[in-house]
Amino acid sequence: MKILVCIKQVGDDGETNRFDVHALEEALDLKDQLQTQLSKSVVLDVVTVGPPGACKIIRRAFGMGADRGFHCVTEKPDFVSSFVTATRLAAVAQKEPYDLILTGIMSADMMAGQTGPMLAKILGLPCATSVIKTSVPSSDMTIEVERELDNGLRDCLTITMPAVLTIQAGINTPRYPKLSSMLAAGQKKIETFKELDLFPEPIQAREISIGTEYPKKTRSGRVLEGSLSDKAAEFLAFLKEKDLL
Amino acid sequence: MKQIFVIAEIFANQIRPVTWELVAAARVIEKNLPSQQSSPAIHVIVPADHPLPLAETIAQRTGMDVIGLQIPELKTEPFAKTIEEPQKGTKKHKEKGRKARWDCMWERGAPAPHGDSGSLARGSAYSGEIYISCIEQLAEELNPSHILIAHTPQGQDFAPGLAVGINAASVPAVNGIRTDEEGLIYSRPVFDNSRNLLVRPTQHRPVVLTVMPGIFKAAVGEEQKSGRLEIRDLPHQPAGYGDQRIRHRRTLKRSCENQALKEAKVIVAAGRGIKEKENLKEIFEFAQSFSSAAVGASRPLIDMKWIEYQHQVGITGATVSPRLYIACGISGSSQHLAGMKKAEFVVAINKNPEAPIFLHADLCIIEDVFEFIDVFLTKRGKSNGFYDFK
Ligand SMILES: Cc1cc2nc3c(=O)[nH]c(=O)nc-3n(C[C@H](O)[C@H](O)[C@H](O)COP(=O)(O)OP(=O)(O)OC[C@H]3O[C@@H](n4cnc5c(N)ncnc54)[C@H](O)[C@@H]3O)c2cc1C
Repeated sequence: MKILVCIKQVGDDGETNRFDVHALEEALDLKDQLQTQLSKSVVLDVVTVGPPGACKIIRRAFGMGADRGFHCVTEKPDFVSSFVTATRLAAVAQKEPYDLILTGIMSADMMAGQTGPMLAKILGLPCATSVIKTSVPSSDMTIEVERELDNGLRDCLTITMPAVLTIQAGINTPRYPKLSSMLAAGQKKIETFKELDLFPEPIQAREISIGTEYPKKTRSGRVLEGSLSDKAAEFLAFLKEKDLL
Repeated sequence: MKQIFVIAEIFANQIRPVTWELVAAARVIEKNLPSQQSSPAIHVIVPADHPLPLAETIAQRTGMDVIGLQIPELKTEPFAKTIEEPQKGTKKHKEKGRKARWDCMWERGAPAPHGDSGSLARGSAYSGEIYISCIEQLAEELNPSHILIAHTPQGQDFAPGLAVGINAASVPAVNGIRTDEEGLIYSRPVFDNSRNLLVRPTQHRPVVLTVMPGIFKAAVGEEQKSGRLEIRDLPHQPAGYGDQRIRHRRTLKRSCENQALKEAKVIVAAGRGIKEKENLKEIFEFAQSFSSAAVGASRPLIDMKWIEYQHQVGITGATVSPRLYIACGISGSSQHLAGMKKAEFVVAINKNPEAPIFLHADLCIIEDVFEFIDVFLTKRGKSNGFYDFK
C-alpha cells in the first residue's frame, strides 16, 4: 500500500501547516496499524510544492516517520491559485500508484481548502473533505471515514480507494519528530522536481490577486488606555454600568 | 443569455437558510456586471431525490426561476430517530476515550421506522461525486457565467472539484463583492482572518464562488410573482466507474449538552493564547467572579483535549448569544466569530494589537490575558465585599 501526504510551509517561521501535520500523523497511524495488525507493507511519502527553503518541512516529516520526500521547487510568489498548486501536486502524485492521498483541510495562510478536492478531480479520484476519523482499511479496496459537517453532525462514508482525504484538526494528536530520526533524515535524499521539468508550458492561473486590505470593523472597538490598573478599573465600570456582573 | 447558478443547500430534505443569502449575493453580481453584457438570468438549482416541494418553496419565496434536479441516488431513509425525538431507539456510539454520544439520524438502506413516512421520514443525502457530475452536466448545457455555492462543509466539499470539472476559476470563502473598471472583484479572508485578499478571476471562464454565510443579507419574503419551475430527471451517470465510489452509510449527530453556554448571561471564552491547559483554572476563576457565567473555548482547545466539546463556540461548536462575551487569547477567526457574533457586547483581551478579534469587539484590552485577569480580580474583590477571591 502507498500513501502520499501533501504538506505546505506557512508563516514567517516556515513551519508545516498545522492541518498538514494532522494529515501526516493520520497517515503514520494508518501505516503503523496496517503493518502491525495486517502485516501489510506500507510506503509513506510526503510531497511539498514551494520555494527551495520548503525542504525543511520534508526533513521534519522524515523525523516523524515519512519514508520518502518529494519537492516541487517553485519561486515564492505572493499568490498562488489553488488550481496551479493542485496541478503541480498531481504531476508528482501520478508518478506512483498511491492508494491514499492525504492533505490538511486548508492552509493557515491562504485558508482556501481547495487543494485536496482539486487534486482529486484532476486525478479522477473520489474525495472526502474535513475527515475527522478513519478506520484501518481491511482490504485494498475501501476505507471508512467520518467527515465533519456543521451543527455537531458527521457523515459516515465508505470510499473506494484510491482516494483523496482532507484532514481536519482534532482527528489525532501529532507526535513530535524524533531527534534520532531527524539526524538519520539528514542523510536521506529529497527528490526534487523543477517546475519546468514537470510543465514545459506554464500553468495558467485562473485567478489573480490584486492586493489585500484590512477587514472591516463590525463593532465600535473602543481601546482601553492607560496602565493595567486603569484598564481593569474601566472594564469594571463598564460591567457595572451595563449590569453585567 | 448568460446565467447565474445558485446551488441551494439542502440537508435532510430542508432548505438551509444560507440559500437565501446566496440568492442575495447573486443579485449583487447581477447588478455589478458590466453594462454591455445582457442581463443574466438567475437560476436556483435544487439537487434532491424529490426536489419538487423544495423547488416550489424557493420559487415562491425568491421569485427566481428554479431547476430541480431529480436524482434518485440521493435518497436516504431515516434510521431509528431524527433530531426531534432523540430518546427512543437511537443508536449510541461511544467514542474511544471521549464521552461524546452520537445519535444516528439517517441511514442508507435502513427501513423506515414505524411504517410512517411523514414529511420527516425522507432525507436527501449529500454526495460530492453526484453533485459534481450532475451540476457539470447542467453547466455544459446552460453555460453559466457564475455558480454560487455556500461556504459550508457541504459546499466546500464539492465546489473545488466542480470548478476543475468545468474549467472554471474558483474563489472560496467570498466575504465581499465589488467592481472596478475591469470588472468584478471578490474579497476573501486570509492569514488567520487578519487580512482580506482581493481576487479577480481571469477572463473568459465561468467562476465558481463559495460565499461565506452571514455576509449577504437574505432577501426573502413571499414574492409577488413566483419564479418558473422546472424539474429535470437527471440520473447520476458515474463516469465509467460502474458504482458510486463514495457511499454514504449514515449521518450521526453528537448529542451534547451545551445548554450552559446557550443560557449564560456572560461567557468567558479561552483561546490558544492561554498557552497551557493548567491556565484554564484562571479562566474558570475569572468566570466565577460573575453572577452567571459559563466558560467557552475556541476549537484548538477541544482538538488538544484540554476541555470538552460542549464548551466549543463557533461554526462547528455552539452558536451563542450572551449579553457579554469575553474573548481571552482568541484571535478572531471567521469560524469562531460565526458562533459568537450575536453577543450583545464583546470584550477582547489579547496581547497582539493586530489581532482581528479587535475589529469585532466593543472593548479592546491590549494586555497579557493573565496579568489583566489578576489585576481585575483584585480590584473586583476590593470593590465588592462578597466576591471571595482566592
Ligand atoms: C472547518 C473548520 C471549522 C472550524 N470550526 C471552529 C469553531 O467552531 N470554533 C473555533 O473557535 N475555531 C474553529 N476552527 C478553527 C479556526 O480556524 C481557528 O484556527 C481557531 O478559531 C483559532 O483559535 P484561537 O483564536 O484560540 O487561536 P489562535 O488563532 O492561535 O489565536 C491565539 C491568540 O492569542 C493571543 N495571545 C497569545 N498569547 C497571549 C497572551 N499571553 N495574552 C493575550 N493574548 C495572547 C494571540 O495574539 C492570538 O491572537 C475551524 C477551522 C476549520 C478549518
